[in-house]
Amino acid sequence: MKVSGSLVAGGGILVFMVVFSIVGSIVGGSPAKQDFASILARPGTAGHLLGTDPLGRDVLAWVSMGIRTSLEVALGVVCLSALVGCTIGVVAGFTRGWLDVVLMRLADIQLSIPPLPLFIAASAVVVNSMTTLIILVSIVGWVPYARLTRARVLSQRERGYVMAARLAGRRRPAIIFLHILPGIRTEAIVLASLQAGVALLWEAGLSFLGLGLQPPYVSLGFLMSEGKEVLAQAWWVATFPGVALALLVVGFNLTGDGMRDFFGSDVATGNG
Amino acid sequence: MVAGVTPGDVLIERASRASRRNGVLLYLAGRLAAGIFVLFGAITISFLLIHATGNPATVLAGGSLPAAQVHALSQQLGYNRPLLSQYGSYIVGVLRGQFGVSFRYGTPAIDSVMTALPNTLALIGVSLSAALVLSIAIAVSSVLSRKGWADRFWRPVVLVLQGIPDFWIALILVLVLAVHLHLLPSLGFAGPETLIMPCVALTVPMLASFTRLLRANLLDFTNSDIAFALRARGLTRREIVLGHSFRNAMATFVSFVALQAGWLIGGTVIVETIFAWPGIGTLLISAVLARDLTVIQAIVVVIAVAFTVFNLLADLAVLWLDPRIGRPAVGASR
Repeated sequence: MKVSGSLVAGGGILVFMVVFSIVGSIVGGSPAKQDFASILARPGTAGHLLGTDPLGRDVLAWVSMGIRTSLEVALGVVCLSALVGCTIGVVAGFTRGWLDVVLMRLADIQLSIPPLPLFIAASAVVVNSMTTLIILVSIVGWVPYARLTRARVLSQRERGYVMAARLAGRRRPAIIFLHILPGIRTEAIVLASLQAGVALLWEAGLSFLGLGLQPPYVSLGFLMSEGKEVLAQAWWVATFPGVALALLVVGFNLTGDGMRDFFGSDVATGNG
Repeated sequence: MVAGVTPGDVLIERASRASRRNGVLLYLAGRLAAGIFVLFGAITISFLLIHATGNPATVLAGGSLPAAQVHALSQQLGYNRPLLSQYGSYIVGVLRGQFGVSFRYGTPAIDSVMTALPNTLALIGVSLSAALVLSIAIAVSSVLSRKGWADRFWRPVVLVLQGIPDFWIALILVLVLAVHLHLLPSLGFAGPETLIMPCVALTVPMLASFTRLLRANLLDFTNSDIAFALRARGLTRREIVLGHSFRNAMATFVSFVALQAGWLIGGTVIVETIFAWPGIGTLLISAVLARDLTVIQAIVVVIAVAFTVFNLLADLAVLWLDPRIGRPAVGASR
């Protein structure tokens, strides 16, 4: 149990991004406001610290709002997939038998379809909104939680304290919630913070392709795709949202690493 | 050891070799069955994907056709048949490599996919090899000089690299190398030099995650009791890392790389779009935008097949790397 450098650095970056997003929203104003007098203004122009995009929208305001959107998506994905994944893991680990086999093979199938193509294919038939995006990403994200929870339930159900609780007449839900889940908590938190970074990248990637969150939603990925079109004239439109995105992801990764050291747990890198 | 060999030992050795062969066959059969099962699941998902929101003809019409025409379309394409019978004929078609006709081009959907596949495989091949070579070099040099300069230098670099989105690297590369320095063409698909930027963009994040995993695995073994015993025998840290840790770390590493390689087949989408690279990713995006459902299905299945093949190859490699597989566990009484 020691606070490592990466925990401090990661937490610091995340706090900085939140503060930046709040201050930036105040300074930059509304991301939707268009200033036709200064289209593609350079960074440092009066009133537009980070310049403007091809439609005269303030890049600072857009990036600040985009950070908020990213964090909302990350939070939603982490909560939903942890909830679904842990539930499935507990059910599989506790019932064992055929239900366990079915659920775990389902997890294998889920892993065999790479996430990005699945999102893209799904976006052909699904309407776009923040909620559907979160659900889509969570459909892929539940697998690591389920595997972790199942493994821990299997290893703990034969432990002395679980046996003791069972002998004492505790019912199953009580054993799960009071005796088994608390032991998984720290590992799930580490997994969640690593997954948050991945979820951010997927959201930005989809929006970059024009398939994720589109205006009126404010997404870093969308601003980068706009910046791609004007890359030759205006480097700032694509660069700043990219820096913000990279900082967020590095922040979450560092925090996850730091927490792993802190709790001394042994979770595999969150790649799914 | 040779001095104390008895006939009994020889018998045991022969028996254990035979049981290893059976164990290996069992292991391979198990992996193959799992692969086929997973593939079947992926085919089912690709079917459900299209039917998830009701009649696919409605999606095709895009809300612009009157109901009577949508009905006619659905009749013509067979989408008004019972779902199970459609599923049955879909499976039969997929097994024959037939996904139906692309709505856009009027040619078999699988043909478009097969034309695009080699281009994507070229991207993956180059970037995967680069990531492998670099990550092995970085991880080994980090572990050899633990607490030394290499580890202190690479750890933060790798952490930052892992956080940078590949499509942002691609944009920055275009900005610097194509727009400002005019060193490389900014997009398109011509000679080997057009491979450079997309491959660098794909290599960097992969390289970072490979390095982190390999470094952790190498350190795990190098700090284990076995390595301690080796050191007591007089082996240097270098000999332990190169001669023992490396092979031990490889089994997990290879499985991880195969998983990543499988995911990469679809993961190149964004980078392909930026560079207008005519691969699977670009095809997928254009198919989605045009609602070309049969092509989407074909791509999902082809990706799943590639994923399964990569993983089976990895299972074979692991078998060779880890001689314990297929042997009865130490101390097992059977």
